[in-house]
Amino acid sequence: MAETNALDRVTGARRFGRYVLLAVIAFIVLFPIYTTVIFALKPGTGVLDYDKILGIPKALLPVDLTLDTLRTAWHQGNLGRYLLNSTIMSVAITVGQVVTSILAAYAFVFMRFPFKNALFALFLATLLVPAEVTILANTDTIKSLGWVDTYQGLVVPFLATAFGVFLLRQVFRTVPDELREAAALDGLGHVGFMREVVVPLSRPAVGALGLFCFLAAWNQYLWPQQITNDPQHRTVQIGLNTLKSANPDRLNLVTAGTLIAAIPIAVVIIIFQRQLVRGLTAGAVKG
Amino acid sequence: MKARRRRYRRYSAVAATLVVAGSFATACGNGKSILEIGQPKPTDSAAPSGTGSAQPTTVPSTTAVPAAQLPPCPVHALDDVTKPVSITFWHAMNSDLEKTLKALTAQYNASQSKVRVTLINQTGYEQNISKYKAASVSSRPNLVQMPEYVLQLMADSGTVIPVQSCVNAEGYSLDDLLPRARAYYTLRGALQGMPFNISNPVLFYNRARFAKAGLDPNKPPQSLEELRADSEKIVSSGAAKYGIALDHSLDAGGGWFLEQWSAKADALYANNENGRAAPATRVLFDGPTGVTLMTFLQDMVKDGLATDVGNLQSTPDNLLKLADPKQPAAMTINSTAALSSVLSLLKSGFAPGFSPADLGIGPMPGPQVNPGTLVGGAALWLTKGHSDVETAATWDYVKFLLQPQVQSTWAAGTGYVPADTSAVALNPIKAVYTADPRFKVAYEQLNAAADTPVEAGPVLGPQREVRIVTSNAVEAILVGRADVQRTLTAAAARSNLLIAQWKSSVGG
Amino acid sequence: MSRSRWRETLLALVFLLPSLAILGVFVVYPLIRTMWLGLYRGGGFNGVRTYVGLSQYWDVFQSNEFRHALGVTLLLALITVPTGLAVGLGLAVLADKHLRGMRFFRTVYSSTVATSVAVASLMWLVLFQPSIGVLANILPFAVLKDPGILEDPHLALPALGVVSIWANAGFTFIIMTAAMQSIPRDLYESAFVDGAGGWRRFTNVTLPLVGPTMVFVVLILTIRALQTYAEIDLLTGGGPQGDRTTTITYLIYGSKSVISFDDGLQATVAVLLFVIMLIVSLIQFRGLDRRVHYG
Repeated sequence: MAETNALDRVTGARRFGRYVLLAVIAFIVLFPIYTTVIFALKPGTGVLDYDKILGIPKALLPVDLTLDTLRTAWHQGNLGRYLLNSTIMSVAITVGQVVTSILAAYAFVFMRFPFKNALFALFLATLLVPAEVTILANTDTIKSLGWVDTYQGLVVPFLATAFGVFLLRQVFRTVPDELREAAALDGLGHVGFMREVVVPLSRPAVGALGLFCFLAAWNQYLWPQQITNDPQHRTVQIGLNTLKSANPDRLNLVTAGTLIAAIPIAVVIIIFQRQLVRGLTAGAVKG
Repeated sequence: MKARRRRYRRYSAVAATLVVAGSFATACGNGKSILEIGQPKPTDSAAPSGTGSAQPTTVPSTTAVPAAQLPPCPVHALDDVTKPVSITFWHAMNSDLEKTLKALTAQYNASQSKVRVTLINQTGYEQNISKYKAASVSSRPNLVQMPEYVLQLMADSGTVIPVQSCVNAEGYSLDDLLPRARAYYTLRGALQGMPFNISNPVLFYNRARFAKAGLDPNKPPQSLEELRADSEKIVSSGAAKYGIALDHSLDAGGGWFLEQWSAKADALYANNENGRAAPATRVLFDGPTGVTLMTFLQDMVKDGLATDVGNLQSTPDNLLKLADPKQPAAMTINSTAALSSVLSLLKSGFAPGFSPADLGIGPMPGPQVNPGTLVGGAALWLTKGHSDVETAATWDYVKFLLQPQVQSTWAAGTGYVPADTSAVALNPIKAVYTADPRFKVAYEQLNAAADTPVEAGPVLGPQREVRIVTSNAVEAILVGRADVQRTLTAAAARSNLLIAQWKSSVGG
Repeated sequence: MSRSRWRETLLALVFLLPSLAILGVFVVYPLIRTMWLGLYRGGGFNGVRTYVGLSQYWDVFQSNEFRHALGVTLLLALITVPTGLAVGLGLAVLADKHLRGMRFFRTVYSSTVATSVAVASLMWLVLFQPSIGVLANILPFAVLKDPGILEDPHLALPALGVVSIWANAGFTFIIMTAAMQSIPRDLYESAFVDGAGGWRRFTNVTLPLVGPTMVFVVLILTIRALQTYAEIDLLTGGGPQGDRTTTITYLIYGSKSVISFDDGLQATVAVLLFVIMLIVSLIQFRGLDRRVHYG
């Protein structure tokens, strides 16, 4: 958003040089994605075709494309079901984390009660406990509850997060006191104040938190692997592992599955990119 | 510039931590394995010792457990059932194997109304093992397919109903069961798991490349000398870059080159008659036979006649090597279970210039003292902790899968050896054996071996873990070109530790 | 306390209860239980456990397998964290000018943030596979062929590092770009007027101001590096020669891990990992400017 000034203008050879550099790096970054897309669109026979056209192997060129591989990956790989499971799990976790974080952050900011600081420190402390430690015991807990291969098993352990509490606490603190007083004058209690004033005011941050939670939940690997055994409840990340093991000789099928699995999240990120940037930088950038 | 100093302090603090931790890590070790914690030093001759009162007593593997002491198998619980009983089967069959299994199971489900089988493909034996281990009693499947190298693990786990129990309860005849398979899976006088898909390693080779090298495509190499000579011809004639593609996978070369070849060389793999007269206490593959075998392979690699394609973790690289566009190999050793899937893949035109007719199958090359190979593949295991009707239903399904006609169809659609001896007289496998003798190689190979402890192969408690060790050893020898004797000796020491730790590392 | 205070406390409790309950049952309790479980050996199929005591923690810490896994983990962090930061910062600097089409390049550089770890790993599997993979067939390096770079004892870990760096590049780029864009332009101008060249402007204006963000990125990248699991599970299975890419997390949960049947040892290793991460986090946290809110 800065105005273009002498410093920003790049001219002549340096400009060309910069474009070259940008392009080369873009090529490197995109190469794996490009290969995946191309292989996903090739029939099984196209993957090994190293005849060259203009010095580039045919296997890497967009020739002889087909949608069959994608179709096969979808059906044989059961990807529809896996995507559904991932979606259900991620949405449920997101809703849970956002709601519980709003409630807890509100309590810390707008209510008075004993041991407030100690409790908050306890919340912060949980951020330091890594997943490796909790997953071991949580597997046992979930097993004893009989929640293996269930949605609740996937979701319940992650319905709250101290990160969300921390983030929203920072944001709620910026609500001006006058609004608080005005709400009290209007006869709004805590619940009303939260619902009518605090949450709407903090909507950008809540949105960012929601997106962040969704991405983290979607990306989970270790936990779903530990507690789901049957394909009915498998999530798409583990489904990719399954697809890979079940088709060790068909690389194009695996890439097709990878592509299908990657598209939903890419779409989500494109739609919510502003929230994404805000969410990622919420803690990072000063001011 | 205070900011810069602060930054330096921050970064140097981080760097200092890493350095301290790193040096802590490397300098402060005790040189012991993690497995030795809390255990008294194992002595060589005694049976594995335990710590504390929680250890169960060791049961020597050959003392027959009285039939009455076997966990019960209520085979008649299915008789009065009115609604279909649902059971789950965790298997590891992919591609053509899965197709055939699905078809047979659908046939079973349609043919009667008491049992409905749900197939769950965990995609690999390793996945089956870890999932099974992690499952609670209620989330375990009714039936699980486990590979041959976890025989003792499953038998000792306390989580299964030995097949013998169901056999006794019903008076089911095991006479038709392939004798070597039956002998392999019998421990303590009881048949533990039901052999279902029996395979062994065979030689996959490209007949066209053989012809190009001036070799007779109908005479694949059998002895180690022939293997070397043929590879030399292949490489020098330019028919392929390598004679043979080797691997060190835990489920393939990493186990076979020592286990199978020791048997063929008439050498014991482990003491106490390969663990069949009494539980084995140490392995013997670091003896002269093992060294000779691995030196032979290492020399092949060193001379450019063979290449090690890896541990087959993600992809069947050894088979893919046959189709490698730049640096192909003419031969590889792989399980016969892949035969049907490979033929399908070749038929689809996957590898240009390599048609299904070009694929040749030969017996596994190796030392020629003893013919034949060990029993491989997997077996079906009935799990405890389910209701009587479910157990009876599971047994019913197992019986179906072992019917001669079913085994005939199963073998014809896969490449496995029929577990039922009368199956070979029935179509489709009878016709397949006549029309495509490639499918018969594994069958003949299996029946060629005699029933001695050497040729039956080892049975160890931590056989899978020992295979991981030998797989690393084979890798070190073939890829790392390490000294053969030293590598095998170290591997043997590690294996012996695992064996001694067996009771406590599994809790069985 | 007055009645309204009581009511407020009660309401606060209601508001806090969901989070407290979930975190208590699924974070605090597991931590305690895992610490307790770490005193025992065994588990396996029939849950037979033998008590070893606190010495188990010390013995595991000193054991060969743990030290090796710690070395691998730290090495992986050493490979991915500085490089990841440099990549993010470098890309942000590169894309910081106003040129036509810069938006396209910014989108490209951010694109990897949309890949999950499993997706990124599989994308690189296609490249790394030795016989039918792409790199092996278009680049002349022998190490790419049989058994492939993922099974080379020296290059397998760096190869995994490349996957992580690539996957994190989008994320670090976005953060560093946002940080750079919040630097007031007139700071650059006054530096320019003072005669500072491009590099001087970078070290005297850019670096100090994105410093806190950089520390934040280092923190996140370190945590991610210490918790690497999916890439290993999908690409190397613990690595060539059994343990060349076995990190501490893989030592606990990997299927080929030597302690995969021993719950107690797994718990011990997990607690040791917790302590290590605690130390690393606290040190890096201390280095953060107090005014910055860390996420």
